[in-house]
Amino acid sequence: MMRVALIILTVVAAAALSAWPDRSGAQNRDRFLHSSPAHKKKDCNSCHLMPTANSMAVRGFPDVAEFPGHAACASCHGGKEQITKNFCAACHSSRMPARAPRFPFPVRSRSHEFGTIFPHNIHQDVIAKVVRNPDVAVGHFVQASFSRPPDDLPKFNNCALCHQTATKLSKLAARVPAALQPMATASPDTFIPAAGFLKDNPSGHASCFACHYTGIKPAANNCAGCHSLTTAYSPSATLERYSFKFDHNSKSHAVRDCMTCHIRIASNGDLKKLKDADVPILACTSCHNHSDDLAKELNARAASTDAKQAAFQCNYCHTTAIGRFPVPSSHEIK
Amino acid sequence: MPVLAAILVTAVLGAAAFAQSLGSVEVAGRVKIGTANERLKRKRFYLFRGGLAENRQLVDKLKTSAVPPSRDCFYCSLGASAEYIAWLKSEDCESPFCRSIGADDVAKVPEFKSAYQKGLEQFRNKPDLARNWLTVNLPAPLRNGFYLQRKSVVNSLLKGATPLQTSMTDSVSVVAPFIDIPLAASTAEMFLVTNVVPFELGGKTYLWVCEVKVDDKKRAKLSLNLDKANKPAGKCEVVVRDVAPCAGNCGTK
Repeated sequence: MMRVALIILTVVAAAALSAWPDRSGAQNRDRFLHSSPAHKKKDCNSCHLMPTANSMAVRGFPDVAEFPGHAACASCHGGKEQITKNFCAACHSSRMPARAPRFPFPVRSRSHEFGTIFPHNIHQDVIAKVVRNPDVAVGHFVQASFSRPPDDLPKFNNCALCHQTATKLSKLAARVPAALQPMATASPDTFIPAAGFLKDNPSGHASCFACHYTGIKPAANNCAGCHSLTTAYSPSATLERYSFKFDHNSKSHAVRDCMTCHIRIASNGDLKKLKDADVPILACTSCHNHSDDLAKELNARAASTDAKQAAFQCNYCHTTAIGRFPVPSSHEIK
Repeated sequence: MPVLAAILVTAVLGAAAFAQSLGSVEVAGRVKIGTANERLKRKRFYLFRGGLAENRQLVDKLKTSAVPPSRDCFYCSLGASAEYIAWLKSEDCESPFCRSIGADDVAKVPEFKSAYQKGLEQFRNKPDLARNWLTVNLPAPLRNGFYLQRKSVVNSLLKGATPLQTSMTDSVSVVAPFIDIPLAASTAEMFLVTNVVPFELGGKTYLWVCEVKVDDKKRAKLSLNLDKANKPAGKCEVVVRDVAPCAGNCGTK
């Protein structure tokens, strides 16, 4: 009887421990939940100042650059009985707030409570009208004053306002097709892309506020215009892609409009529905459908399977971690 | 028993979803109009299920609607300077967000100069910030008024008709692709493609309403070419009109 009780106790304890959130040190200090019923009722601006007094010094532009002051908390949490040491540690770097500085805002290692609202389709309509057409019929004044030198490559569609060439390589992982089983063990593959193969994402307010600081809605003081409360999550530091061999800066790619490949971006109104970089194979095959690229690899795969040999692993676009999977029907050249 | 039935239904529906036939259409934005070659870069097209006959009400509404004021008329009617209009026109921009505004532009365009000066005051005399965030201090109608006006026209024209997809031509290959179009049947199906708001080309406006047959075997291609008599190459209804004269002292365009 005792043994059974001990086993049950062990199982329950193990289950409880596995369910306990795995939180880093910084996350453990994060006791403030925007999603609590009382906090959800508050207007963002009742706590967060926009801009904060330190923002020009810290960021170089007007921004929310520090945690709200005591007044924001004290308006509700006034009684000493409510102020615990953990309460202070939400913003202060030690549990002795009288001397401790506040964390830099925001603490990026903490779990995120907000998703970003960004409709690419509207931005394509508003900002993306760059047409660099030298034969456009314009007056002499305009030609003389505004035409660009021929070696000035276009920054297509102002996508570059937010997406710059990456300078640091993220942690990478193959985006494995979930529903498929690999046909072989991946052949050795040492390919590592250069950082500049990829574009980065905005990590702060700077690129948004350049247009949305005031006037254009949602303006900077309307936090909920861009941030929607969601289930807490920790963003992955690992970048998953099907094809790491695509170089945005290669000679033939750099002269193309971003939207030539990011086909769906002009109709995407919700970031959550965007599947990572979302480049359909159609974008690749419009150029790479020749005997030295996709067609060659499709033939090699077909030949290997017909001959009942080890499956040919595609490596023109993919690393072999992906290239060993069955060829999806989308890759058939129509 | 109901649980088992639900599982079966889910499995069947799942299989049906998996077997969904998908088609694609490519709208060619390199257009031959008479003898002129035009490139409809960065232009939006809309896709509707059904052909011209099934969408007759919408087709007639689009064909008979008034053409909204041209970009130049719009900005001129707001009292924008000739330099501001020329800056937009030089790279076919519809708003000041379309490209970066350089120091030279600030010196030449009065609206930019004024916004820059306001920015210097607002951003504690930081020239780069005042220039990079210049649009923040432009008068609102000059900033996004044209976009809002066009959006309002599109919303009004498409009231009661929801497009299946929208797409935009890129500026290099000048193609607007519609992909992963769910087909109701595995056989070919008819779809309608239109630009909804007429495009301006060489003093005229062009509205295309075309039907295109889509199947899951091959990518359908839609040509918008017009011959010298403005007769379309494909099964399209095309309305060609002169650009409406501007009101007031804004000239003819």
